Amino acid sequence: MPWTPASTAAPATGGDMPDDARSIDCTSAVRQLWDYLDGELDEPRMNDVRRHLETCQACLPHADFGRRFLAALRDARARRLMPPAVRSRVMHVLSQAGFTDG
Amino acid sequence: MSDPRADGKAKDEGFARDAIPWMDDVYRFALSLTRDPADAQDIVQETYLRAYRSWHTFEPGSDCRRWLFTICRNAFLRAHQRSRHEVDVIDGDAESVAAARDHRAMIDDGTDRLLATLDLGPALDRALDSLDEPFRATVQLVDIEDQSYEAAAGILGVPIGTVRSRLFRARRQLQEQLRLHALDAGIHGGAGHGGRHA
Ligand SMILES: [Zn+2]
Repeated sequence: MPWTPASTAAPATGGDMPDDARSIDCTSAVRQLWDYLDGELDEPRMNDVRRHLETCQACLPHADFGRRFLAALRDARARRLMPPAVRSRVMHVLSQAGFTDG
Repeated sequence: MSDPRADGKAKDEGFARDAIPWMDDVYRFALSLTRDPADAQDIVQETYLRAYRSWHTFEPGSDCRRWLFTICRNAFLRAHQRSRHEVDVIDGDAESVAAARDHRAMIDDGTDRLLATLDLGPALDRALDSLDEPFRATVQLVDIEDQSYEAAAGILGVPIGTVRSRLFRARRQLQEQLRLHALDAGIHGGAGHGGRHA
Protein backbone atom coordinates (compact mmCIF):
# COMPACT_ATOMS: atom_id res chain seq x y z
CA MET A 1 0.00 0.00 0.00
CA PRO A 2 1.53 3.35 -0.97
CA TRP A 3 2.28 5.80 1.80
CA THR A 4 0.92 9.22 0.89
CA PRO A 5 2.40 12.01 2.93
CA ALA A 6 0.15 14.98 3.67
CA SER A 7 0.91 17.53 1.00
CA THR A 8 0.99 20.41 3.49
CA ALA A 9 3.44 18.78 5.90
CA ALA A 10 7.13 19.59 6.11
CA PRO A 11 8.22 21.33 2.91
CA ALA A 12 10.82 19.15 1.25
CA THR A 13 14.28 20.59 1.12
CA GLY A 14 16.02 19.17 -1.91
CA GLY A 15 13.57 16.43 -2.81
CA ASP A 16 12.11 13.69 -0.64
CA MET A 17 13.37 13.28 2.83
CA PRO A 18 15.11 9.97 3.50
CA ASP A 19 12.81 7.58 5.37
CA ASP A 20 14.98 7.62 8.48
CA ALA A 21 14.75 11.35 8.85
CA ARG A 22 11.04 11.12 9.54
CA SER A 23 10.86 7.74 11.24
CA ILE A 24 10.55 7.42 15.01
CA ASP A 25 11.54 4.62 17.35
CA CYS A 26 9.30 2.51 19.59
CA THR A 27 9.96 4.60 22.69
CA SER A 28 8.92 7.73 20.90
CA ALA A 29 5.84 6.06 19.39
CA VAL A 30 4.75 4.68 22.73
CA ARG A 31 5.33 8.01 24.46
CA GLN A 32 3.00 9.66 21.97
CA LEU A 33 0.46 6.85 21.70
CA TRP A 34 -2.29 8.37 23.85
CA ASP A 35 -1.86 11.77 22.22
CA TYR A 36 -2.04 10.04 18.85
CA LEU A 37 -5.17 8.04 19.65
CA ASP A 38 -6.75 11.23 21.01
CA GLY A 39 -5.85 13.10 17.82
CA GLU A 40 -3.96 15.69 19.86
CA LEU A 41 -0.65 15.74 17.93
CA ASP A 42 0.16 18.12 15.12
CA GLU A 43 -0.06 16.76 11.60
CA PRO A 44 3.61 15.74 11.06
CA ARG A 45 3.68 13.94 14.42
CA MET A 46 0.34 12.22 13.73
CA ASN A 47 1.89 10.94 10.50
CA ASP A 48 5.09 9.84 12.23
CA VAL A 49 3.22 7.76 14.80
CA ARG A 50 0.75 6.39 12.24
CA ARG A 51 3.57 5.26 10.00
CA HIS A 52 5.42 3.63 12.89
CA LEU A 53 2.30 1.75 13.99
CA GLU A 54 1.66 0.56 10.44
CA THR A 55 5.01 -1.15 10.28
CA CYS A 56 6.00 -2.07 13.84
CA GLN A 57 4.88 -5.48 15.11
CA ALA A 58 5.92 -4.63 18.66
CA CYS A 59 3.82 -1.48 18.96
CA LEU A 60 0.73 -2.68 17.12
CA PRO A 61 -0.76 -4.60 20.09
CA HIS A 62 -0.34 -1.47 22.27
CA ALA A 63 -2.27 0.60 19.79
CA ASP A 64 -4.99 -2.04 19.39
CA PHE A 65 -5.40 -2.35 23.10
CA GLY A 66 -5.51 1.41 23.50
CA ARG A 67 -8.21 1.72 20.85
CA ARG A 68 -10.37 -0.98 22.38
CA PHE A 69 -9.97 0.51 25.82
CA LEU A 70 -10.98 3.99 24.66
CA ALA A 71 -13.95 2.59 22.74
CA ALA A 72 -15.17 0.77 25.85
CA LEU A 73 -14.83 3.99 27.84
CA ARG A 74 -16.84 5.94 25.27
CA ASP A 75 -19.61 3.37 25.63
CA ALA A 76 -20.01 4.44 29.27
CA ARG A 77 -21.87 7.43 27.86
CA ALA A 78 -24.81 5.23 26.90
CA ARG A 79 -24.77 3.39 30.21
CA ARG A 80 -25.12 6.47 32.40
CA LEU A 81 -28.50 8.00 31.81
CA MET A 82 -30.16 10.76 33.74
CA PRO A 83 -33.24 9.59 35.62
CA PRO A 84 -36.38 11.08 33.98
CA ALA A 85 -37.35 12.58 37.34
CA VAL A 86 -34.27 14.81 37.25
CA ARG A 87 -35.25 16.26 33.88
CA SER A 88 -38.81 16.92 35.08
CA ARG A 89 -37.46 18.62 38.20
CA VAL A 90 -35.06 20.84 36.25
CA MET A 91 -37.73 21.77 33.69
CA HIS A 92 -40.08 22.65 36.55
CA VAL A 93 -37.51 24.88 38.23
CA LEU A 94 -36.73 26.54 34.88
CA SER A 95 -40.40 27.24 34.23
CA GLN A 96 -40.62 28.90 37.65
CA ALA A 97 -37.71 31.10 36.55
CA GLY A 98 -39.72 32.17 33.48
CA PHE A 99 -38.64 29.65 30.87
CA THR A 100 -41.30 28.50 28.41
CA ASP A 101 -40.48 25.41 26.38
CA GLY A 102 -41.97 25.39 22.89
CA MET B 1 -37.96 49.01 18.93
CA SER B 2 -37.56 45.75 20.72
CA ASP B 3 -40.57 44.04 22.14
CA PRO B 4 -39.65 42.50 25.52
CA ARG B 5 -42.09 39.68 24.98
CA ALA B 6 -40.58 38.82 21.59
CA ASP B 7 -37.09 39.02 23.14
CA GLY B 8 -38.16 36.62 25.86
CA LYS B 9 -39.55 34.24 23.27
CA ALA B 10 -36.31 34.33 21.24
CA LYS B 11 -34.33 33.73 24.42
CA ASP B 12 -36.44 30.73 25.36
CA GLU B 13 -36.25 29.32 21.86
CA GLY B 14 -32.47 29.64 21.83
CA PHE B 15 -32.17 28.10 25.27
CA ALA B 16 -34.49 25.22 24.35
CA ARG B 17 -32.56 24.58 21.14
CA ASP B 18 -28.96 24.96 22.36
CA ALA B 19 -28.89 24.24 26.09
CA ILE B 20 -31.71 21.85 27.01
CA PRO B 21 -30.53 18.96 24.76
CA TRP B 22 -27.29 18.65 26.80
CA MET B 23 -28.96 17.88 30.12
CA ASP B 24 -27.92 14.20 30.08
CA ASP B 25 -24.32 15.21 29.43
CA VAL B 26 -24.35 17.79 32.21
CA TYR B 27 -25.88 15.21 34.54
CA ARG B 28 -23.13 12.68 33.75
CA PHE B 29 -20.45 15.30 34.37
CA ALA B 30 -22.14 16.41 37.60
CA LEU B 31 -22.34 12.77 38.72
CA SER B 32 -18.64 12.31 37.99
CA LEU B 33 -17.93 15.32 40.22
CA THR B 34 -20.28 14.49 43.10
CA ARG B 35 -20.56 10.68 42.77
CA ASP B 36 -23.93 11.10 44.44
CA PRO B 37 -27.14 11.13 42.34
CA ALA B 38 -29.00 13.53 44.67
CA ASP B 39 -26.07 15.97 44.72
CA ALA B 40 -25.76 15.62 40.95
CA GLN B 41 -29.41 16.57 40.54
CA ASP B 42 -28.86 19.70 42.63
CA ILE B 43 -25.83 20.65 40.55
CA VAL B 44 -27.68 20.11 37.25
CA GLN B 45 -30.57 22.23 38.50
CA GLU B 46 -28.20 24.99 39.61
CA THR B 47 -26.31 24.78 36.31
CA TYR B 48 -29.43 25.19 34.20
CA LEU B 49 -30.82 27.99 36.35
CA ARG B 50 -27.57 29.90 36.09
CA ALA B 51 -27.30 29.19 32.37
CA TYR B 52 -30.85 30.45 31.81
CA ARG B 53 -30.28 33.62 33.83
CA SER B 54 -27.01 34.39 32.05
CA TRP B 55 -28.11 33.22 28.61
CA HIS B 56 -27.31 36.70 27.24
CA THR B 57 -23.62 35.98 27.89
CA PHE B 58 -23.66 32.82 25.76
CA GLU B 59 -22.11 33.47 22.39
CA PRO B 60 -24.46 32.10 19.71
CA GLY B 61 -22.77 29.48 17.57
CA SER B 62 -20.14 28.64 20.18
CA ASP B 63 -19.98 25.29 21.97
CA CYS B 64 -22.93 25.31 24.36
CA ARG B 65 -22.06 21.98 25.96
CA ARG B 66 -18.61 23.27 26.88
CA TRP B 67 -20.20 26.43 28.30
CA LEU B 68 -22.61 24.33 30.40
CA PHE B 69 -19.79 22.08 31.65
CA THR B 70 -17.91 25.16 32.84
CA ILE B 71 -20.96 26.47 34.71
CA CYS B 72 -21.49 22.99 36.14
CA ARG B 73 -17.92 22.79 37.39
CA ASN B 74 -18.25 26.21 39.06
CA ALA B 75 -21.56 25.24 40.63
CA PHE B 76 -19.89 22.15 42.05
CA LEU B 77 -16.96 24.15 43.43
CA ARG B 78 -19.33 26.60 45.10
CA ALA B 79 -21.52 23.87 46.56
CA HIS B 80 -18.59 21.88 47.88
CA GLN B 81 -16.27 24.75 48.79
CA ARG B 82 -13.45 23.25 46.80
CA SER B 83 -10.34 25.14 45.87
CA ARG B 84 -10.00 26.00 42.20
CA HIS B 85 -6.27 25.56 42.35
CA GLU B 86 -4.97 22.08 42.78
CA VAL B 87 -1.33 21.28 42.24
CA ASP B 88 -0.37 18.23 40.23
CA VAL B 89 3.03 16.66 40.23
CA ILE B 90 2.43 14.00 37.60
CA ASP B 91 4.45 13.78 34.43
CA GLY B 92 2.37 12.94 31.35
CA ASP B 93 5.27 11.46 29.40
CA ALA B 94 6.27 9.21 32.28
CA GLU B 95 2.63 8.09 32.49
CA SER B 96 2.53 7.13 28.80
CA VAL B 97 5.71 5.12 29.12
CA ALA B 98 4.36 3.39 32.24
CA ALA B 99 1.11 2.67 30.38
CA ALA B 100 3.06 0.94 27.63
CA ARG B 101 4.88 -1.13 30.24
CA ASP B 102 1.53 -2.15 31.71
CA HIS B 103 0.19 -3.09 28.27
CA ARG B 104 3.23 -5.23 27.70
CA ALA B 105 2.64 -7.01 31.00
CA MET B 106 -0.99 -7.63 30.03
CA ILE B 107 -0.02 -8.97 26.64
CA ASP B 108 2.57 -11.23 28.25
CA ASP B 109 0.30 -12.65 30.95
CA GLY B 110 -2.68 -13.10 28.61
CA THR B 111 -5.00 -10.62 30.38
CA ASP B 112 -5.00 -8.59 27.18
CA ARG B 113 -6.68 -11.44 25.28
CA LEU B 114 -8.97 -12.12 28.21
CA LEU B 115 -10.16 -8.53 28.14
CA ALA B 116 -11.06 -8.86 24.47
CA THR B 117 -13.47 -11.68 25.33
CA LEU B 118 -15.14 -9.98 28.29
CA ASP B 119 -17.89 -7.41 28.52
CA LEU B 120 -15.83 -4.53 29.87
CA GLY B 121 -18.81 -2.26 30.60
CA PRO B 122 -19.70 -3.17 34.19
CA ALA B 123 -16.06 -3.54 35.26
CA LEU B 124 -15.21 -0.22 33.63
CA ASP B 125 -18.10 1.53 35.38
CA ARG B 126 -16.92 0.23 38.74
CA ALA B 127 -13.37 1.28 37.91
CA LEU B 128 -14.58 4.77 36.95
CA ASP B 129 -16.40 5.11 40.26
CA SER B 130 -13.25 4.15 42.11
CA LEU B 131 -11.17 6.95 40.56
CA ASP B 132 -10.43 9.91 42.79
CA GLU B 133 -10.96 13.53 41.90
CA PRO B 134 -9.55 15.25 39.90
CA PHE B 135 -8.91 12.20 37.73
CA ARG B 136 -12.54 11.16 37.40
CA ALA B 137 -13.75 14.48 36.01
CA THR B 138 -10.88 14.59 33.52
CA VAL B 139 -11.66 11.11 32.16
CA GLN B 140 -15.34 11.98 32.08
CA LEU B 141 -14.75 15.07 29.96
CA VAL B 142 -12.16 13.73 27.53
CA ASP B 143 -12.89 10.01 27.24
CA ILE B 144 -16.63 9.92 27.74
CA GLU B 145 -17.87 13.35 26.68
CA ASP B 146 -15.28 13.61 23.89
CA GLN B 147 -13.88 17.02 24.84
CA SER B 148 -10.44 18.01 23.53
CA TYR B 149 -7.58 18.46 26.01
CA GLU B 150 -7.90 22.18 25.42
CA ALA B 151 -11.65 22.24 26.11
CA ALA B 152 -11.24 20.13 29.24
CA ALA B 153 -8.48 22.45 30.44
CA GLY B 154 -10.81 25.43 30.02
CA ILE B 155 -13.66 23.72 31.85
CA LEU B 156 -11.48 22.52 34.72
CA GLY B 157 -9.43 25.71 34.91
CA VAL B 158 -6.06 23.96 34.64
CA PRO B 159 -3.26 23.96 32.03
CA ILE B 160 -3.49 21.51 29.11
CA GLY B 161 -0.43 19.63 30.42
CA THR B 162 -2.32 18.97 33.65
CA VAL B 163 -5.29 17.54 31.75
CA ARG B 164 -2.93 15.31 29.82
CA SER B 165 -1.06 13.96 32.85
CA ARG B 166 -4.25 13.45 34.87
CA LEU B 167 -5.85 11.68 31.95
CA PHE B 168 -2.94 9.32 31.41
CA ARG B 169 -2.67 8.55 35.12
CA ALA B 170 -6.41 7.87 35.28
CA ARG B 171 -6.33 5.60 32.24
CA ARG B 172 -3.52 3.61 33.78
CA GLN B 173 -5.51 3.17 36.99
CA LEU B 174 -8.55 2.07 34.98
CA GLN B 175 -6.47 -0.43 33.04
CA GLU B 176 -5.06 -1.86 36.23
CA GLN B 177 -8.61 -2.36 37.53
CA LEU B 178 -9.52 -4.08 34.27
CA ARG B 179 -6.48 -6.31 34.51
CA LEU B 180 -7.53 -7.41 38.00
CA HIS B 181 -11.04 -7.98 36.70
CA ALA B 182 -9.70 -10.07 33.81
CA LEU B 183 -7.52 -12.14 36.12
CA ASP B 184 -10.50 -12.74 38.36
CA ALA B 185 -12.75 -13.68 35.44
CA GLY B 186 -9.99 -15.85 34.00
CA ILE B 187 -9.59 -17.74 37.24
CA HIS B 188 -13.29 -18.13 37.97
CA GLY B 189 -14.38 -18.42 34.34
CA GLY B 190 -12.10 -21.41 33.83
CA ALA B 191 -10.97 -22.67 30.44
CA GLY B 192 -11.99 -21.31 27.08
CA HIS B 193 -10.77 -17.79 27.62
CA GLY B 194 -7.35 -18.45 26.19
CA GLY B 195 -5.40 -17.82 29.36
CA ARG B 196 -1.85 -18.75 30.11
CA HIS B 197 -0.48 -22.04 28.84
CA ALA B 198 1.55 -24.17 31.21
ZN1 LIG C 1 7.46 0.10 17.66
